[in-house]
Amino acid sequence: MFCYLLQHVEALEILLQGLCGVQRERLRIHEICLKSGPHLGTVASEVRLLCDLEQSEPSWSVRHVGGAMRGAGAEQVSVLVRSMVESKTSKNALRLFYALGYKFDHELLRVGFSFNFYRGAQITVTVASINKMLKLHATDEAVPVTLGIQMVEVIAPATSENYTEVATAMSSFCEYLAPLLHLSKPGVSTGVVPTAAAAAAALMSDGGGTTL
Amino acid sequence: ILHWQPNQGSEMNSQVLEEISQCVETLNGVKEGSCKTSLTFYKPNLQDQSAVMDFPRDFMGISMPELPNKYFLIIRGQRIVLEADSSILVIMEKLQSYKPKAILNFEGELYKLGDFQIRVIKVVPHQTETLKGIMVEIDYLPISSVENSKQIMKEFIDIWKEVVSKKSLAGEFTHAETNYAEYGLGDNYTSQHTAVQYAAAALTQLIQSSQLRS
Repeated sequence: MFCYLLQHVEALEILLQGLCGVQRERLRIHEICLKSGPHLGTVASEVRLLCDLEQSEPSWSVRHVGGAMRGAGAEQVSVLVRSMVESKTSKNALRLFYALGYKFDHELLRVGFSFNFYRGAQITVTVASINKMLKLHATDEAVPVTLGIQMVEVIAPATSENYTEVATAMSSFCEYLAPLLHLSKPGVSTGVVPTAAAAAAALMSDGGGTTL
Repeated sequence: ILHWQPNQGSEMNSQVLEEISQCVETLNGVKEGSCKTSLTFYKPNLQDQSAVMDFPRDFMGISMPELPNKYFLIIRGQRIVLEADSSILVIMEKLQSYKPKAILNFEGELYKLGDFQIRVIKVVPHQTETLKGIMVEIDYLPISSVENSKQIMKEFIDIWKEVVSKKSLAGEFTHAETNYAEYGLGDNYTSQHTAVQYAAAALTQLIQSSQLRS
């Protein structure tokens, strides 16, 4: 589930800190999207390489994101369900995939913070700006795709047997964020929460002691 | 890794393997167990087969029994080695851009000789019993530096070759140095170094097999 946030990022952080009960983690992820070159594979394929720049030694992983679940089951859940497989790798991932015939498609840099906690499901909330590189792979020269906008994402791993329970846990958690923002499936418009300014002011004034 | 190079016209058979195992026992090697490393050759899954030359022909994947959660990918010609979580196999399956072409199993008996570890390995194509090659893998456990262990490894290899020569077998062990720096690997020996050696071994076995056939 996700939404775009223009204001009240600090208030959201205070709210999340109170709800999650864990320390926030800083986020600086360089994401490189590669697509299969001509002729390779009977259908085109896409793979994402992620480099965590927040670590003292950058660490890499390779991620494949599948298509969204469709049909009656998908319409009945309030979250987007899709397969995702990730593998940590050593640092040569980009060279390997280029050598295998994959081509650079686009890249971006996510900068922000995340909370990872258990509340009916293992949930990760990230709040990050999406930045583009003005020169290839130049993460030090990244600029926001849209100035002032942060993306809030809530994700949780699930199996084909338990995804409805996980979806319920996610939706329940997201209701606690309702004073500040509404999250939804990608592609579904949420609009601005009318109480957001007042809620944010209350959170900022006493650092999260307020019950919303 | 040392490769058994049979003399021209000689066979690679289980009798030779048995004799080589006896050489380890002559040196008071103690059997500690078995191991099996698998190496998969991959081929590109192409819409147009005429484009095959545009893609690497030496793309391999290796799984090691001592690291069940890891998988190693190598493109030998470009000197690339990648260590990954074994979930990379699921990703490759989903991408459908490369498919397994052939699998070689390196089935070894592990021996301990003081500070050395020796694996006597038979190279067998997957799901067959055909002996395609014999190798010996030697580890010197106290030193993880490739450079610092060179002298002692050379001395051990000389002793090993002398013991084997007394058996008057129709062949000899050969050894080729691996340039790990070309793969971006450091002096501290890791499982990525082992993967590079096995990839080289697999290609050596392929060449040997084709030479024996001709």
